Amino acid sequence: MAAAGRGDAGADPASNPGTVAVCFCESTPLLWRAGDVRTARQTGVVGTLMGSLARQPRQNCRLGRPLELLREEARLLADAGRAVLLSSSRPKSTGAANPELVKQHQEQMDQSYSEQSQLAQQDKKAVLLRVMADKKQGSNQSDQALQERLLALDHGFTFPRTAMAVQLNTARAGMSYGPEELRFLAADSLSPRDERQEARYRVFRDLRRRGFYLTTGGKFGGDYLVYPGDPLRFHAHFIAICLPMDEALSLCDLLALSRLGANVKKTVLLCSPGAEPEEVLYTSLQWSGMV
Amino acid sequence: MAESNTSVSCSSDNFYSELLSPSELFAARSRSHKIPARGQKEFLPDGSARQRERLQQSLEEHWSLISEERVERLGALVKGEWIPSKNVVVLKSPAGKFWQTMGFSEHGKQLLLPEEALYLMECGSVQVFLHDLPLSIQEGYEMFLSKDTVNLQQYQVRHAAERRECRGALPLRLVPHKAAVSSLKVFSHLKRLGYVVSRFDRSTVPSHYERQLNLPPERDGHGRQLKRKRSRSPSSQLPDGQGGVAGESLEMRGGETKSQRANPEDGAAGLSEPEAERMVEDVPVPSGVPERRWWVEGGADLPQSPTRPRHRGWVWETITLPDLGAHRCQPALAAPDPSLLPGRLSVGVCAMEPWLRRLNLRPERLSRRERERERSRYRRDVNDDREVRHCRSWAEYHELRRRRRNRHGRRNRPEHLWEGKVTPLLQPGQHTTAGDVLDKIGVVGASRLLDGAAGLEDSEGWKISFDVFQPDTVAEFKKSSPGKPYSRLCVCSFEGPVPDLRVLKQLAFQSGDVPVTFAVVDHGDISFYCFKDFQLPTDTSH
Repeated sequence: MAAAGRGDAGADPASNPGTVAVCFCESTPLLWRAGDVRTARQTGVVGTLMGSLARQPRQNCRLGRPLELLREEARLLADAGRAVLLSSSRPKSTGAANPELVKQHQEQMDQSYSEQSQLAQQDKKAVLLRVMADKKQGSNQSDQALQERLLALDHGFTFPRTAMAVQLNTARAGMSYGPEELRFLAADSLSPRDERQEARYRVFRDLRRRGFYLTTGGKFGGDYLVYPGDPLRFHAHFIAICLPMDEALSLCDLLALSRLGANVKKTVLLCSPGAEPEEVLYTSLQWSGMV
Repeated sequence: MAESNTSVSCSSDNFYSELLSPSELFAARSRSHKIPARGQKEFLPDGSARQRERLQQSLEEHWSLISEERVERLGALVKGEWIPSKNVVVLKSPAGKFWQTMGFSEHGKQLLLPEEALYLMECGSVQVFLHDLPLSIQEGYEMFLSKDTVNLQQYQVRHAAERRECRGALPLRLVPHKAAVSSLKVFSHLKRLGYVVSRFDRSTVPSHYERQLNLPPERDGHGRQLKRKRSRSPSSQLPDGQGGVAGESLEMRGGETKSQRANPEDGAAGLSEPEAERMVEDVPVPSGVPERRWWVEGGADLPQSPTRPRHRGWVWETITLPDLGAHRCQPALAAPDPSLLPGRLSVGVCAMEPWLRRLNLRPERLSRRERERERSRYRRDVNDDREVRHCRSWAEYHELRRRRRNRHGRRNRPEHLWEGKVTPLLQPGQHTTAGDVLDKIGVVGASRLLDGAAGLEDSEGWKISFDVFQPDTVAEFKKSSPGKPYSRLCVCSFEGPVPDLRVLKQLAFQSGDVPVTFAVVDHGDISFYCFKDFQLPTDTSH
């Protein structure tokens, strides 16, 4: 009863509609449930999928859950009151088997087996009946044989246990081992550690507010890639580089950045938080040839 | 499912919402494995209905892919159990095909490292249990990559934390521990592409000296011998000397192995005498196997090594040989570690006294005549020369000789050339080729990546994590003798510093003759970089 162990269910914010459970693995914020990933996307939080795709695990083009969030994304969700930050610590003692839960799990497996066995039988019967219907015009003898097989199916059908389908849960399910201690983290665990992080967050929040979608931009030498619409359908327009207002940038770096931006057909955006709490100043750099 | 839902309040329904019902499970057996293609992206949202429709369609496809749960046939799943204290997964049913490239065996059990177990869980090949209950992948991440487990990742985490602390940035509490997740991402990324990835073990890299001598790798020899014997006597596949089962042969020969295990002496008899002896000499042996007379690599490593006990190598830096002839020699040599001795053999403290008595330790005494003769043998004792006595090394002595020769030769040189402030750079007769001359007048000498790397101490936080083997070698890949990796990987992050020359040299030295690749993790993105040693060509044609 992992869920019950967490105490009063009514006070459990993880189950409020519209909030997502952000689970920290080490310090990486992860979303595990498909519903959460979807909810986050609705608020413009894209994140990066990092797991293998259930349907085709051995490829890197399309990945699956968990969804890794940027710190800024997790903080944005938390600040909007839409995230519950969870950290699971592993039980200190190695613990012992919970016989009740094990029994429950076994019962579920048995029940699942018997239901699947029935389904398999029905399935097979349906196939035979269809064949019979198709062969209505055929000889009586083969019809006879099919009838016999149908009867045999009713009596001696065995569904091997190894053929039973089982689910490998992606997100934590209630039934698995142990009241895993879920610790609720205070939102300030995401607060910035230095000026740069603060700048990153303020830029993220501002661009998000303006309706842009953001993903990580390390490959392009920047902090974020800025998309005009959902990254699933649109190309990024900007490479955002977050700098505190008073930080100097060497000319060489500037040239390298704008040159790189030009090569990938994107505009480099220098973003600095202004004096006002909500203010962010943007400078766009574009390479232009001298005429 | 019904019971659990009633006993748990309904508000936590969404903890269960991703559990499939038996009918859904049954239906999932025939679901498609195709991934929908992603169409061309567009430049700007124009608010048109067509665009909205396409976005909606893409998103729907995306959600259906994302929300799909893994469903496997029970018979196709390998069962494993998580052992928190050891941070490994023990397989409870025979391993599948993956055993060729992953896992290791110890004490007759098949084990998986945490990152391997996670990858295989994600592939739907292994179901891991803890206390008879299956673990979800989320729980796998949270438990296997936990901070209080001693493993590779934790090592990295610790060092990364120290490194950041050294830079005086922040208190430790706030430092992000991302290394385990990053390592896992790199590991899975490469595994999904088909590479064989194993943890880097420094002792498997042949030393510079071994490489210079071009010694054939001894381990391969062992492997081959064993393999040959294996076909005849299956019992010789129990390599760890603990009744264990040789890794790669278990699935095919599991039954056979069991039936033959009772007769372990066969294996020893199968070996020819010198071979058996060599193995005994070469390879230290685990304790507690009194009935066995042959030993195979890796055994003695098991108790200490938390990582894969694939080979053992001698780390000469840590081995010191006692100087028995020295005056202040220990009266006795300590007893060898019993874990390194074959069973039945007990070796106590070795008293030096009787051995030393056999040595002639008396100082040499010569009569006067003998001394005369000795002296006359060398017309002039070099040691009489005071300048020579000042030399502290051969290099200095050679230098002295060179100086003397030069002084001698200088008499023939024209004064106007050699006695001024500016003298010729080259001496007559010394350099004969253009290349030599260019070399002599070069201001900046060429340097190779490995120059001076041997003496460098390990840099904090930088560590090679994985050996990577190319996918096309999988068919012939053997865990017992993996051969030379295609590359070695160092996992780092965009948030950390760029490796400096010192780190490059040190990692290149650790890696031996295999290139080191840096896997830079930026959240979901992984970029691979490597630094290449490059020698500028010298033009000597004119």
